[in-house]
Amino acid sequence: MIARCLAGTLLGLPLSAALIGLLYALPGGQRALIALLLLFFPLWIACMTAAYFFRNGRQAWLSLGTANILAFAALWLAHRFAGA
Amino acid sequence: MKASTLRTFQVVHTWTGLLAGFALFIAFYAGALTVFHDDIATWQTPPWRAAPSAKVSTQALIDRLVARHPQARADFGIVLPRTPGQAPYAFWFDNGQTHFATADELGHPGDEGNRNDLADFVYALHDSLGFPTIGLYFMGIVSVLYGLALVSGVILHLPQLMKDLFAMRVGKNLKRLWQDAHNAIGVLSLPFHIVFALTGAVFCLFTVTMLALNTAAFDGKLFDAFADATRTEPVREAAGVAAPMLGYDALIARAADIARSHGATDFEADYLHFTHYGDRNGVAMVRGLSDRALDIYGYIALDAASGHELMHSVGQTRSGNSIVYSAMYALHFGNFGGRAVQWLYFLLGLAGAFLFYSGNLLWIESRRKRRHADQPLKTRVMARATVGVCIGSCLAISGAFAATMIADGLGIEAAGPQRIACYGLFFAACVYACLRPIARATAELLVATGILTVVVAVVDLLRNGSAWTQLWTSQTVAVLGIDLAGIGLGSVFLLFARAARIRAMHGEENSVWAVRRAADARQPSR
Repeated sequence: MIARCLAGTLLGLPLSAALIGLLYALPGGQRALIALLLLFFPLWIACMTAAYFFRNGRQAWLSLGTANILAFAALWLAHRFAGA
Repeated sequence: MKASTLRTFQVVHTWTGLLAGFALFIAFYAGALTVFHDDIATWQTPPWRAAPSAKVSTQALIDRLVARHPQARADFGIVLPRTPGQAPYAFWFDNGQTHFATADELGHPGDEGNRNDLADFVYALHDSLGFPTIGLYFMGIVSVLYGLALVSGVILHLPQLMKDLFAMRVGKNLKRLWQDAHNAIGVLSLPFHIVFALTGAVFCLFTVTMLALNTAAFDGKLFDAFADATRTEPVREAAGVAAPMLGYDALIARAADIARSHGATDFEADYLHFTHYGDRNGVAMVRGLSDRALDIYGYIALDAASGHELMHSVGQTRSGNSIVYSAMYALHFGNFGGRAVQWLYFLLGLAGAFLFYSGNLLWIESRRKRRHADQPLKTRVMARATVGVCIGSCLAISGAFAATMIADGLGIEAAGPQRIACYGLFFAACVYACLRPIARATAELLVATGILTVVVAVVDLLRNGSAWTQLWTSQTVAVLGIDLAGIGLGSVFLLFARAARIRAMHGEENSVWAVRRAADARQPSR
C-alpha cells in the first residue's frame, strides 16, 4: 500500500510534467498553455489513483518508471526537433 | 472491481479525508463567507462611516505618489476600492520590495494592502489559514489530498450511489442517515468540488509548480510562454521625454469605451497599472470587471499620454489562454453571475464544510463500541479534535467580526484585534474541547458561536441605526444583508446546539456524543 502510494506520488509528478510538456510541444500548444497547466494536478492525481490498481508496489514502480522513461525520451526528441 | 482494490481505496479515502478534512472545513467555511467579500468590506466601512482618506480622489493618490516616490513612476499599480467607503491604494516596487499605501499612508507605506480589512483577513484564513507563504503551500498540499479523496470517494461509492443517490434513510440507524447525507452532498456538489480541488491546488502551489514544470518539461521556456499567454499590455521602453499624462477619469472612460466597442457588455474598472508614468511612452492598463460572463476580467492597455489603444483582451476578441485564465478565477470565486450565483456558492461552500464534518463523524461512528460505555481513545481524540477545530473556527471567525466592530468603535487599527480574537478564540475552543466532556463541549461551543454571531449582527444593526432611515443605496442593502445573514447563521448554530444537547441527554448512551449520565458524578473529567 505504502509502496504504491509512493510510486504514484513520486513517479506521477514527473510523468504528469512530461505529458504536459509533450502536449505543449504539439502544434498549437502555445495557444492552450493555461489549459495545459491546469491539467497538471488532475494528471498527477490520476497517477496516484492508477498506482493502486497495480497488484503490488514493485509492479507500480516498474510500470510508472517505464512510463516516465518513455515520456521523457519522447519529450527530449520533441524539444530536439522542434527546437532546431 | 476487486474487493481488495476497493478496500485500498477505502483506506486512501479515509486517510486523505482525515488529513485534509480539518483544513478544508476552515477553507470552506471561510470561503463561503468570502463569496460576499465586497459586502463584508462594506459592512466594515459603509460610506456613512468612511475614513477621510476614502474621500481622496484616485487622481490625487496618483499625483501624490509620483511626487513623493519618483522612483515609483517606472511601474506602479492602483487598486480601486470595491466599496465606496474604502480608499484606493497604490503599490510600487523599490529595491525588490513591494510597498502599499493609501493617499494618507504614502509617508509610511506598509508591506500589504488593506491590513485592517476584515474581508481580506477572512480571505487569508480561507486560502492560507492566515499564514502567508507557508500556509498557502500547506493549503496547496491539502488541495491535492482533497483531489485524491474525491477520486477515491467516487470510486468507492459510485456503484452503490447509482442505486440510492436520493435515498435518505431517515430512521433508527443514524449512521446510515449521516452516510446518506455525506454521499448525496458529495456527489451532487461533485463538479463544484472538482473545480475547487483543481483551482485551489493551482492557486496555492502556482510558484512551485511553475518552477518544477519549467525545469522538467519546458526546457526553461515556461516563464516567457506564460508571460506571453497572459500578457495584457505591451512592453515599451521609456522615451526619456516628459509628457503630460491623461487624468484618471479620462483613462477610465476611454477604456470603457474601447471595451464596449469590442463587445464587452460591462466594464467596471477595479485596477490600473502604469509603466513609465510621466514619460511620452507611458502605458496605462485598465482592468475591468464584468459579472455577466465567465471571463470576468477584461483588460485595455492605453497610451497614457494620448489615450490611444495599445492592446485589448476583452469581450469576444480574446485569446483561448486568456479566457481559460479568467474562467479559472471566475469558477473559483463565483463572481460571474451576480447575486444568484453568489448565494449558490455560499450554500455549496457551507455544504462542503458539512461534507468534511460528516466525514469525521462517520469515521468515529464506524469505530463506536456499541456495548461499552467506554469508547476507544482514538475516537475520543477524533471527536475532541473535530469539535475543537470545526466549531472553534466558526467561533473564531465570528470573533474576528466582533473584534473589527469593537476596534472601529474605539477608533483603533483593526488588524491586531482581529487576529488576536480569531486565533485566541480558536485555541481557546480547542483547549475547551480537550478538557470538557465531549458532548457538553459540543453543545456549549455551539451556543457560544451562535450567541456571538447573533450579538455582533444585532449590535451592528443598532449602531447603523441612522442609516436605515436615510436614502437606501446598494451599500445599505449589503450591510443589512450581512447582519441578517449573521442572525440567520447564528440561529442555525443555536439549533445545532439544541440538537447536540438532546442527543447527549437522550440519544444512544454508548457513544462519545452521550453525556455519561450515571457515571457523571464519579468521573467528571470524561
